Amino acid sequence: MFQNRMEGLALALPAAVFAAIVFLVPVGILLSEGFRAEGSWTLASYASFFESDLNRTVFWRTLKLGAIVTAVSAVIGYATAYSIVTLPPTARGRMIGLVVMPLMISPVARTYAWIVILGRTGFVNETIVWLGLSDTPIRFLFTETAVFIGLLQLFLPLMILSLISALENMPKDAVPAARVLGANWLQVFVKVILPLTKEGLVIGGTLVFTGSLTAYITPAILGGSKVLMLETLLYQRVTVANDFASASIIAMILMVMSFSANLLLKRLATARNKR
Amino acid sequence: MFKKLMASGVALAALSGAAQAADKTLVISVYGFAQDAFKEIVYDPFEAQCGCELVVETGNSVERLAKLEARKDDPEIDMAVMSTHDALSASRKGISQSIDVSRLSNYDKLYDIAKDPLGDNLAVGYTFYATSIAYRADEVTIESWADLFQDKLKGRVAFPNVSTNQGPPALYMVGKAIGDDSADLKAAIAEVAKNKDDIVTFYERSSQVAQLMQQEEILAAPIGRFAWGAYAKMGFDMAWATPKEGQTGGMNVMILTKGAKNEDLAYEFMDFWLSTEVQTKLAEALVDSPANSEVKVSEEIAENLTYGAETVESLQLLDPAVILDNRETWLSEWNAQIGQ
Repeated sequence: MFQNRMEGLALALPAAVFAAIVFLVPVGILLSEGFRAEGSWTLASYASFFESDLNRTVFWRTLKLGAIVTAVSAVIGYATAYSIVTLPPTARGRMIGLVVMPLMISPVARTYAWIVILGRTGFVNETIVWLGLSDTPIRFLFTETAVFIGLLQLFLPLMILSLISALENMPKDAVPAARVLGANWLQVFVKVILPLTKEGLVIGGTLVFTGSLTAYITPAILGGSKVLMLETLLYQRVTVANDFASASIIAMILMVMSFSANLLLKRLATARNKR
Repeated sequence: MFKKLMASGVALAALSGAAQAADKTLVISVYGFAQDAFKEIVYDPFEAQCGCELVVETGNSVERLAKLEARKDDPEIDMAVMSTHDALSASRKGISQSIDVSRLSNYDKLYDIAKDPLGDNLAVGYTFYATSIAYRADEVTIESWADLFQDKLKGRVAFPNVSTNQGPPALYMVGKAIGDDSADLKAAIAEVAKNKDDIVTFYERSSQVAQLMQQEEILAAPIGRFAWGAYAKMGFDMAWATPKEGQTGGMNVMILTKGAKNEDLAYEFMDFWLSTEVQTKLAEALVDSPANSEVKVSEEIAENLTYGAETVESLQLLDPAVILDNRETWLSEWNAQIGQ
């Protein structure tokens, strides 16, 4: 397309310079703060960050909720995606539209809706009391359960969409063939569907996990300061204590967690391939 | 190829070209709340009066303070409003300078506590608010700050986070109620920690408490009087507690930046904001309770404000220096006992 590579690069240069100046350099400066103490490079700030009980609790809680949300959304995602791809084309289009719809609503609105639904006088509690499962309303708001529900609802569509496209690319005869050859549904899933759609699972899993790690609004509104997550702790460090050093440490931890999750999922996918 | 490189360079330069400033410009830094009302009552009329351009920067206190500090040697902001303890922090960081109060014609009309809250005329108060407990009078009675932890309120009460402006004063009053009002707030934090499973949430925004109250999730919460208007309209039997330990609160002040480039305009603006006319309008719009003692408002308006010499004098305000010096300790104590 271009006479030589240099012309192509020249056209990309403004964007590259712009990204470097307004994004890479500031992020680099901010993140390097965490490795500096009294003018020299050190990991001491990270060590002292993990010495605090609160920071450790928050770190494990973030990791745990991210992992559970990813796992649960994979289970629900496979079931939903499989039932959608087996529909006739028009119905499939409509169903995909329904899956995409929540993504068009602001996370703030979606999260606020949960405050109403999960509240004492909300739909969930009224049902529980009406069914006689509990005499008094159960407190969901500002618990890990509420944050889990909010995050799951927020990111499940991403998992479903990734799995739909993976399942659509799967050879149509694979599942019937496995069934004819006597595999039960569990065997079909583990030996046929899973290996053929692992790419989709890796993409969906990474999106859901990194999304859960970095979502701010949902844990802030549904968890509050009683269920601090790394991102809400980061916000607290910056806005309350003006402590950019701790904030950059948290930011770095979040980035490392996201990249590791992606690498881990990819590893799992390839390991299965070899077998 | 070289031409293409040049072209992209020009495009980049055009992007970074900044707009030129007007001849007479005043730059102020304020809280982000009620900006529509401020524009109508303060900013637009002031621009008309001074024939200048007013540039308004908004944000939360920490953000704005960080920005002021970053531009300390070449300040772009001429005057700022903030809480008393943030103003004290600003003066300790060398961001602000003493205000020549003789240049403020409305200064003498201010309530005494607003005149020189930090000493050395480092700040002038323009509004204050009471903090007490809003509660459902049909469900509970509250006569003391310790009543927040009564049986009827287990699982039905919210408390301000220590990081909010309401947090430390509310903790201070809880401390008083349990007989220990030392500045480290240790006893009060321990008392809250003991009851933390019975507290629905430690709120960070006053709008959040209003929603929880409206949803009947909670029956009581310590709040700032500036938020009371929303509660009175909820259709419940809401009451504003007058606990036996008293009410607490906070004050917001104006500061003048050291090395401000438009000092004269800044003085003119501060004086305008403190004038009886502007303070009355701000009070009537339920934006800010007046610090100007000559402001007269109807009983209905006064009901929603922190208004009148008697109320103002009864407020047990935390010393800004105490807040500033202890804030980090409170936060770590709080996080250790309550945050996890």
